[in-house]
Amino acid sequence: MEELVKQLKEQIIDALNLEEITPDDIDAAAPLFGEGLGLDSIDALELIVILDKYYGIKLASPADGKAVFKSVNTIAEYVAAHRTK
Amino acid sequence: MIKVLATNIISPLGTDTEQNFQAVRAGKSAVVIREGWGTAAENVAVGAFSKQQEARMAIEGFTAFESMVIRSVQEALSHTKEVDINSPRTIFILSTTKCNVEELGAEPSGDGAYLAPGATARKIAEYLGFATAPIVVCNACISAVTAQILADRLIGAGKYDFAVVCGADRASTFTLAGFLSFKSLSSVPCRPFDIDRLGLNIGEAAATIIFSKADGKGWTLAAGILDNDAHHISAPSPDGDGVRRVVETVLEGFDAAALGCISAHGTATMFNDQMESKAIEAAGLSSVPVSALKGFYGHTLGAAGALETILTMRALDEGWIIPVRGFEEIGVSGKMTICKDWTRTDKTSFLKIISGFGGCNGALLMTKLDAAGESPVHAGAGNEKAATDLQTVHTVSLTQDSATLDGQSLEVSQKGKALLTELYKKFSCDYPKFYKMDVLSRLVFIGAQMLASRENPTEADREDRAIILFNKSTSIVSDRAHIATIADRESFFPSPSVFLYTLPNIAIGEVAIRHSFKGETSLFILPRKDEETMAMITEATALGSGVSSMLTGWADCPDEDTFEAELKIVKRIK
Repeated sequence: MEELVKQLKEQIIDALNLEEITPDDIDAAAPLFGEGLGLDSIDALELIVILDKYYGIKLASPADGKAVFKSVNTIAEYVAAHRTK
Repeated sequence: MIKVLATNIISPLGTDTEQNFQAVRAGKSAVVIREGWGTAAENVAVGAFSKQQEARMAIEGFTAFESMVIRSVQEALSHTKEVDINSPRTIFILSTTKCNVEELGAEPSGDGAYLAPGATARKIAEYLGFATAPIVVCNACISAVTAQILADRLIGAGKYDFAVVCGADRASTFTLAGFLSFKSLSSVPCRPFDIDRLGLNIGEAAATIIFSKADGKGWTLAAGILDNDAHHISAPSPDGDGVRRVVETVLEGFDAAALGCISAHGTATMFNDQMESKAIEAAGLSSVPVSALKGFYGHTLGAAGALETILTMRALDEGWIIPVRGFEEIGVSGKMTICKDWTRTDKTSFLKIISGFGGCNGALLMTKLDAAGESPVHAGAGNEKAATDLQTVHTVSLTQDSATLDGQSLEVSQKGKALLTELYKKFSCDYPKFYKMDVLSRLVFIGAQMLASRENPTEADREDRAIILFNKSTSIVSDRAHIATIADRESFFPSPSVFLYTLPNIAIGEVAIRHSFKGETSLFILPRKDEETMAMITEATALGSGVSSMLTGWADCPDEDTFEAELKIVKRIK
């Protein structure tokens, strides 16, 4: 799980162009939206692309991802349970 | 004020305005469900030409996009003898969001130059016989309304006698993939304003309107206004503030009871339709019948504002208001009167409203004048105001290895994209969203930030500050990045944030949001950096209602580490 969390952090930094942020700067338990990294609606769509591209998980809409995208930890748990690649 | 001399629509429903109107009258729709589209595997509902239609349209030596535009302009010209297209007093204005992008490769190469919208427009203009250099309007979904307003201003200012405005876009995989990544495509025919609406359909068409100076007879563009809601680059202000403002301004002095209908944008996305309903209610137009045409065509992007204006004129000629195809049950909270069935009217004026990514909004007041009858249009409407003098107050110049502010060269150590990051820190912007922008947006953002550093903070948050930019290379860096994500079906992972920046006017939207500039915002693409045309458009914009100052100039990024911006703040002298 620790490896998956690190990998997710790197993928998020890359996909969201979070220049000058390292995986260590991201608190895996902190909220991704609103506070913390302050992600917005387009970033939520970008997270959907990450799940599809690297883990073969298809989410229909950001609304479906609300619980999943709470924090890096919740994404990691969801990926571990549902990944197809 | 300008009048309509002739029109054409080429769409999957027909090759002239009449065929299109008759098809719509018969309840036909261009939108059909296709299994996969290009490299996209998903089923999509799309309003696209058939292979046979494309073959009939094709002109040797021209792309599908170019052929469609050429045929649309030629057919429109066949309806009027008044226009001399070889005259230096006739201008060709092409409205398009993505032009020839489907021909472009993912890797940087020479194709970028000849497929650029300005070069494409010039190729088309030369073939058709225009003697003047064309102007391309690239202002997201409101492009064709922006183009008509530009025609009004240029003719109103006496620069030209005739303007040929053609709006066109293709339902390419490029565009479809982008909207798929936004989760805003409906897999079934769209249902504007309906409770069960699931999103939009992409359509394709070319729509041409030929304008001359108004003479009190026939269909007349009485007034046209643009603004920006400075809310979010891909979501409209939920209260519809931007649309409400353009509607109120365009109707100043006009009796709204004379409106036959409102031709709404009605894309059938959750946000757009809800926002429009709030704007219509807030503007006091809840009782005016609302028509919306996306159910017949899908969203034809750069063509939409022209196509929908043309068909609404044609329907009102026959005393009809076109219903909202796909609408059953109201699914928006703003009070409005949706036209569900074909409805009779004897009124011959309407409002066209439209909104686009980057926060831009537009409204046109179209009215059919009768020489004998009373004109419903107030005196002083439109853009025929006295010419104004513009004074430059601040300038900034940026290249990949230099930065100059108000004539003073700044010491910099970085080059290329890294230089923009250096300047971001130097001007302590504290706006982390900067890092998510593409290089064109970063360039424009930094330029605007540097100019703002020389201005009084009270210059922010203004409804009278316009942003008018010009370039040559459109959003080519992001275009290629997006193409790389959709090249084949196995690795088809379009990114919403990459796609967003394939609309070059997003760079302007970023600045509008940052500084809360809420005047009009437009992006024009020219075949080359042509100071004379830029000055002409800037001056014409200053004639537009409510503009007292402007951030304007050139901002071009042919590749990631090569760029040039020359931006300035100009003010009207009273």
